[in-house]
Amino acid sequence: MKIIGLIISVLTGAMLVYAAADFPAWSDPSSPASTYLSPHFIEKTMEETSVPNIVTAVLADYRSFDTMFETAVIFSAGLVCFFLLRTTRRKESETETTHYRHTLTGVTIQIKEGHTLPPSDEFERIDSLWTPSGLIIKTSCRLLVPFIQLFGLYVIAHGHYSPGGGFQGGVILGASIIMLAISYDLRTIIERISEKMVAVLCAVGVLIFSGTGALCLLLGVNFLDYNALAPILLVDPLTARSHAILIVEIGVGVAVMTTMIWLYCNLSSAGKYNQGL
Amino acid sequence: MSQQYPALLVVVPLLSAMIISIAGWVNKRWCFPIAVAALGVAACSSVGLLLQVLDQGKVIYLMGGWPPPMGIAYYIDHLNGLVLPVVSIVALLNLIAAKKSIEQQFPDKIGPFYSLYVLMVAGLLGIVATGDAFNLYVLLEIAALTGYGLLAMGEERAPLATLNYLYMGTIGACFYLLGVGYLYIVTGSLNMVDIAGILPDLYQSKAVLAAFIICMVGVWLKMAFFPLHAWLPNAYTYASSAATGLIAPLVTKVMIYVMIRLMLTVFTPAFVFSFLNVSDAIVWLAVIAIVTGGVLALAERDLKKMLAYIIVAEVGYMVGGAWLGNRDGMTGAILHIVNDALMTLCVFLVVGNIVYKVKSYAFENLQGLFRKMPFTMGAFVIGAMSIIGVPPTCGFFSKWYLITGAIAAGHYAFMAALLFSSLVSVVLFFRVFEICFHEPFSDNHGHDHHSEAMDEAPLSMLVPLLIVAATLIVVGLYTGVIVNQIIQFAIPASLV
Repeated sequence: MKIIGLIISVLTGAMLVYAAADFPAWSDPSSPASTYLSPHFIEKTMEETSVPNIVTAVLADYRSFDTMFETAVIFSAGLVCFFLLRTTRRKESETETTHYRHTLTGVTIQIKEGHTLPPSDEFERIDSLWTPSGLIIKTSCRLLVPFIQLFGLYVIAHGHYSPGGGFQGGVILGASIIMLAISYDLRTIIERISEKMVAVLCAVGVLIFSGTGALCLLLGVNFLDYNALAPILLVDPLTARSHAILIVEIGVGVAVMTTMIWLYCNLSSAGKYNQGL
Repeated sequence: MSQQYPALLVVVPLLSAMIISIAGWVNKRWCFPIAVAALGVAACSSVGLLLQVLDQGKVIYLMGGWPPPMGIAYYIDHLNGLVLPVVSIVALLNLIAAKKSIEQQFPDKIGPFYSLYVLMVAGLLGIVATGDAFNLYVLLEIAALTGYGLLAMGEERAPLATLNYLYMGTIGACFYLLGVGYLYIVTGSLNMVDIAGILPDLYQSKAVLAAFIICMVGVWLKMAFFPLHAWLPNAYTYASSAATGLIAPLVTKVMIYVMIRLMLTVFTPAFVFSFLNVSDAIVWLAVIAIVTGGVLALAERDLKKMLAYIIVAEVGYMVGGAWLGNRDGMTGAILHIVNDALMTLCVFLVVGNIVYKVKSYAFENLQGLFRKMPFTMGAFVIGAMSIIGVPPTCGFFSKWYLITGAIAAGHYAFMAALLFSSLVSVVLFFRVFEICFHEPFSDNHGHDHHSEAMDEAPLSMLVPLLIVAATLIVVGLYTGVIVNQIIQFAIPASLV
């Protein structure tokens, strides 16, 4: 079976390479891909959308309908993961034990389900796979996170002028929070940004994007035709396109950031949300 | 408002999916009404679009107001004008019918389920409506990803079966994307109509040929065409009835639509049938698909898996019909998209009702069902008759066109396969009927003989089922109208 699979993959690869012989040469300036649509984008983007970064203009304006559904793909990845993994009711066989560590002596105690620890400041809750807390790791992560997040916001906001945009910025923001979750523990993150908040924000991110498009529809033009937003944004129609791109990029950023957190929480705790990596 | 139908069609379900997802965290009771409303709007827009197409021909909608090929355009003509209402109405009816079983199976996860369901319908509608080859891929991703989620939440073996589907489906989608990439490199465009205009000068190019082959193989993987069908039966059998009721009737049929769209609009019949000389081989593959699908269905001992293998055979019908290379065959294939979606929905809704009441779909547990659930079984008989191809149910007419096409093309093996498949279906369904007529063996020898009182599924499950069963006959009776008013214009005049 393995040999058959190998033969099929080699044949498919050979066919694709053979067919590639008819491609235009590498970086051929007269190839169809660079002569058919590119001139229009290069010459007209600035006057049609007032966005200096052509890639952003194509992504979030000319082909924004694709991008909106890509955001929805990311949302559905998070939602499917939650749908399949999140366990709300435990099986009867497994009882939950929680671990507490006495901070002064380092003694760890196990508390079975149904029992509680007498209220005391000397115990901290820990994960079952606990390692002595790395002061250096925790402190350096804590110090880095604000800067990472600031950079993430910059990447989202600066997508008009430089490489960047909602997807990249959202990933940076999400990564900063996952970094906190790894250096501290999952509970620290959930205390700051609850599961419900993550799930709702994820949907809100896509809603910002598609809602902007639907608003254009309500204002009497085609879906995602940002010109119509000019009276609302109090600018001329051309600048409205540029501003609307920023709005949808923010929506993408929110959706991507929360999806990353949502995926991490569900995958690292196998849907139990009690302890992560 | 009416010129905004193409946008409403996909945007309302998309927005609603997000709102449902939020509503699931606030108040679960809001989820179902929002989902029904969203799919209702989609169904109304798709019917409105069909009427517009009948009235004025092609409808073009520019997303963001950008004209193609710069922007993305939706093209609605007679072909997808016919498929859109089928997709939206099937999804709506199954949603209403599945409400009870969803509440029974996933009481904690109603919000995510409805959200994924509506998002998947948005994806399927988008695939059918779009006129942009890359946009089609993005929507394919949406429909596939949500589909994996819905299918994996089922019996114990569902996750593994779905993982298999995920591998195959991802390869299929990648192949399609690769094909689109090849086309973009040689044409520079992503718009289907635009590509079709550029291609004739490039027919000799090996890259175009490779693009066509990998696009077709990718689509075949997704629709479970014969040698690539192995993922389908398990994935569909172990899933929940609510998910199979959506996915079994629609996903394979939408992929057949994509295949026909690629053949008729993007690559044009001149390239597919006249320039390439492969249609004979593919019809032969379809013959094998029909025969193996039927034989494997015979070997099954439970109802749901048997129906899943019938889908494999039905895919063979449509691929074979489309590749016969004549008008009758193509008419039969397009008509069968409509009919097969409806009859598959009918039989899978029946399975849903049985599972809801009996908690099983194995043959040995079906005894006495005719007495216990007479309306459900009545609808099952109509659905079965349609799959067998008994007039006046709609299944007869599409099979008629397919056989006419096979004779016109001189492809008698395909005709024989269709007849063989009908005979196999007779055996399959009458075996089930026989089991269902039998009383269950009672332990207390003949005491209270009429103990099995009627125990029908709730009305919310029964009414959609009876509507579908009635539609099977109505569509059958109006076949002439559908063919003469719609399908005739969907096939380019160059295909004789």
